[in-house]
Amino acid sequence: MFTAWTGVLKNGHQTIDNFKLNIRQIIQPFVTVKGGLIPALHKVQKEFGFLSKESIKTLAKSFNISDAEVIDVITYYDDFKLEKQGEYIIKVCQAEACQSLGCRELWETLRSHFQLEQDETSNDYMVTLKEVFCLGNCALSPSVMINKDVIGRANSEKILSYLSTRQNNSKND
Amino acid sequence: MTDQIKIYIPKETSACSVGSDLIAEKINLLTQDHKHISIVRNGSWGAFWLEPFVEIEINSKRTGSSYLNKDISQLSSIEEFLDDFNKSKPFNILETEFIKQQTRLVFSRIGLHDPLDLDEYFNSGGYKGLENSFEIGQQKTIDEIKKSGLNGRGGAAFPTAIKMQTVFDQEARTKYVACNADEGDGGTFSDRLIMECDPYSLIEGMTIAAYAVGASHGYIYLRSEYPLAKYFLTEAIQKLKSRNLLGKNILGKNFTFDIELRIGAGSYVCGEETAMMESIEGKRGLVRSKPPLPAIKGLFNKPTLINNVITLASLSAILMQGKDIFSQFGSGKSIGTMPFQLCGNIKQGGLIEVPFGITLNEMIYDFGAGTFNEKPLHAVQIGGPLGIYLPTHLFDTPLTVESLIDLKGSLGHGGIIVFDDSTNMTLQAKFAMDFCQKESCGKCTPCRIGSVRGVELIDKIYNGTALKTDMILLEELCETMETTSLCAMGGMTPNPVRSIIKYFPNEMMN
Repeated sequence: MFTAWTGVLKNGHQTIDNFKLNIRQIIQPFVTVKGGLIPALHKVQKEFGFLSKESIKTLAKSFNISDAEVIDVITYYDDFKLEKQGEYIIKVCQAEACQSLGCRELWETLRSHFQLEQDETSNDYMVTLKEVFCLGNCALSPSVMINKDVIGRANSEKILSYLSTRQNNSKND
Repeated sequence: MTDQIKIYIPKETSACSVGSDLIAEKINLLTQDHKHISIVRNGSWGAFWLEPFVEIEINSKRTGSSYLNKDISQLSSIEEFLDDFNKSKPFNILETEFIKQQTRLVFSRIGLHDPLDLDEYFNSGGYKGLENSFEIGQQKTIDEIKKSGLNGRGGAAFPTAIKMQTVFDQEARTKYVACNADEGDGGTFSDRLIMECDPYSLIEGMTIAAYAVGASHGYIYLRSEYPLAKYFLTEAIQKLKSRNLLGKNILGKNFTFDIELRIGAGSYVCGEETAMMESIEGKRGLVRSKPPLPAIKGLFNKPTLINNVITLASLSAILMQGKDIFSQFGSGKSIGTMPFQLCGNIKQGGLIEVPFGITLNEMIYDFGAGTFNEKPLHAVQIGGPLGIYLPTHLFDTPLTVESLIDLKGSLGHGGIIVFDDSTNMTLQAKFAMDFCQKESCGKCTPCRIGSVRGVELIDKIYNGTALKTDMILLEELCETMETTSLCAMGGMTPNPVRSIIKYFPNEMMN
């Protein structure tokens, strides 16, 4: 379930040097691309789940910029994470169309169910809860996105049953 | 011989959000041994309350039925499914009032077929626009767009041809075309629909634009919240490359054009053109001050044509069918059709492409059929988070660029969000400031700090602790933000707040 580190751990015990080599290989295709830092950040985060200190150092070196410059970019964007995220990232739309059909109440329900605040991850790293603004599904409000799946006409029952179906499926795998 | 049967099941975010993938999976299982049945994952018609809208075509007759809240997981055979479908009174969606009342010029293909089927695209006039453009040459292509009267559909309604002419007139070896697909406004989804349901029309439009201004490289800056659009664009670009419609010598002409897809990272301001350029360049998405205009000094300091998805897709339609398809409708800044997006608390929400000038009443009742939860209507917000709220007595306002400017608002990207009478308008005003506070890029003070002060002031009003002078302070704050912010984010955030003070005064005093 710890997807964030599977890149390192799935081959058993990788050394930190191997890890660096691994990241460097992932970054390499983007180094020569104009403005390639953001695509590289996306790719590294996709592989490792978040942007660790080590990956930031390697990114900085590969792009020939300072660590601070990499962090500067990372911290501007909501999508980039410096800490490990939950296996299920639940994005609850809080924009106007969803407000018109009760997304504020839905947020409160989910917040108290998971006992999480905005952008917090549960202790078992299963769930990260986030408020976002607009998923582009505004005619079927309220909308929630779990990883890549959008759920329209969302309510807490739908969200919880989605999660339990997924969790059961992954147990059976 | 058994009749050939085609089953259309949309693969589009809204349809999938209410279960269309599950239906496709099930039908796929049921039809495995039936060679006369094929499944097409088409786009959506944009009539979202019907989704998942499943259609069946037999003997060129195509009818459909809504599978919303219908559980088909227990069906054991395809015959059972077909039987059930026929009993559900299927109808031809083209004969519904929702579609019949529209003038779909730019959205003419959505829902019809598999969006990645290039042959279907050619059969429906695809790449005729680019051929025509090649035939008449660069300047005449720009002239044609000028005569069509097309203005940008991203929000600012700036004449498209003027931008193109400016980029064309620059003497530079490298020029860029950048498509702004960072559709961040709450209550809008028309860009997403084009990218998911007719991606080739966007890419053809970009190619026409690139040819006209003399650019050889293009970027599509897509927001990360649209993973399905990313899939369709990636596939579409790949297919076009393999058919020589992107890359070198397109259509046998000495013209090279490549497109790179860039994914945003969750920043609203990156939908502002200069912030978008910073982001494409790999930096924080901070707004640049203008001048220089992007058309003169844009991406990587080169002349850059920046347009929204719908604007670029419109180019394919205009160059294919001629300027008149647009110029026959409307006047002033409101020429052609506008894809409105009716959403929020509405029974029949979706994509409504009609000529400018339709009234809110027509939109909400003729298309939308009233509120979703049947509560009385109270307000609409037009044009995204920076758009104004209007009360019901102004619902006879015609939707044109000019009429919204007269009301101190903006038509923006064409989103219309409906609210019922349980809406707390003070909270809506607070949200406008709160959104600005959360999404401001932080470069200029009025936006960065003004929005924080705005939230505080409206909070006081909400809690009933505001003094009379606080209303004056709020108005002064709005004026400061409007007149001194660097871009529309801070500059237009006061619009929704002021409209609530003006049109819902009793609801703003707690």
